[in-house]
Amino acid sequence: MDIGVPGGRELLDFSDALVGDDRKTLDAARIALANSIGEETIAGAAAVAANFTKNDRIANGCGIPTEPMVLKATKEIRAELNLNDFRSAINSSRHFPDDM
Amino acid sequence: MLMSIGLVKKSTFDEYFRQCRRGIKMGFYSDSNYKVRKDLDKVHENQFKNLGEPGSWGSGAQRIAIASQVREACYEKGIQERPGHSSDHDDTILPDVAKSLINKLSTSPKDFLEDSYTEAIDGGLTNEEYVEIVGIVSRVTDMDIFARGIGVELRPLPEPKDGLPARDRPLEAKQELAWVPTIPSHPEGGKLAEDLFGTGHKAYIMRALSLVPNENRMHMELENIQYLPVKNILIADYQHHDGLSRAQSEVVAGRISAFNECFF
Repeated sequence: MDIGVPGGRELLDFSDALVGDDRKTLDAARIALANSIGEETIAGAAAVAANFTKNDRIANGCGIPTEPMVLKATKEIRAELNLNDFRSAINSSRHFPDDM
Repeated sequence: MLMSIGLVKKSTFDEYFRQCRRGIKMGFYSDSNYKVRKDLDKVHENQFKNLGEPGSWGSGAQRIAIASQVREACYEKGIQERPGHSSDHDDTILPDVAKSLINKLSTSPKDFLEDSYTEAIDGGLTNEEYVEIVGIVSRVTDMDIFARGIGVELRPLPEPKDGLPARDRPLEAKQELAWVPTIPSHPEGGKLAEDLFGTGHKAYIMRALSLVPNENRMHMELENIQYLPVKNILIADYQHHDGLSRAQSEVVAGRISAFNECFF
């Protein structure tokens, strides 16, 4: 599948491995990412992954809803990607059921 | 293991601590084989130091115990590797209700629903304590994932500092749409809202921890450096990291959030 960006496959593999439980897979994914789009991207990719590790725990940990404007704008793509099946969707649907 | 496969320069890591003890400044991640931007290096160093200081509701010792509990939970689940410098974890400092919250949020945020929050509050945590714990758990897992990502050992936790928590609950905080009270966007949230989030309506992700303003500040400080400065978020092709386009950054962001089933 063409991810649509250079190194897209390697970025996905690195992200998956970073939150997984197999260190060898992570080390291999890091090397593959460096070989694909350059060593200089590793810290940036790790930083973005770290940032969303933080944000996901804050969002799910505090039960915050998504803004109605964002819900309206993303209705189609959420349905396409089955994002409404995420358990944390309830934090939005209980406040804005008509926008889901 | 990391040293044996050449991903950590043992001599550099030991040298970092020797130089720190002598008061000589080296980069926080100077043992990394991959270049780490100076502002990122610095913010993580400062945020680690902050963990050991008295907070708004927890003492320095309690805050370090929270950070240590995060790590124990992640080692147990196999999603982090115990570093060589790891000190003994004191299991007696935190109440069980706090440990349960930390374990669940650290290792399985996708399973964290309102019943987990209710269990924590019914178990005796105040909303303020809860938010401070969520803030620390989120920051520690963040910085530990970063270390894992660049192939270095987890950074040592600092020694806790003496002193009492500030116990400064903001009067502006009220029950809005989150489980926990939050400070409303400016102007309703007043000067404190302006200081924390700027003027105008702000999404909940920028206000989620505002019941404990210092945790909110720490969260946004990391946001601006690790992801991008929030003021630039609507610039579709804004590039914040060397070699990584905005689109490439969003591939990583989206994948991590999908894994954690973060609907927001």
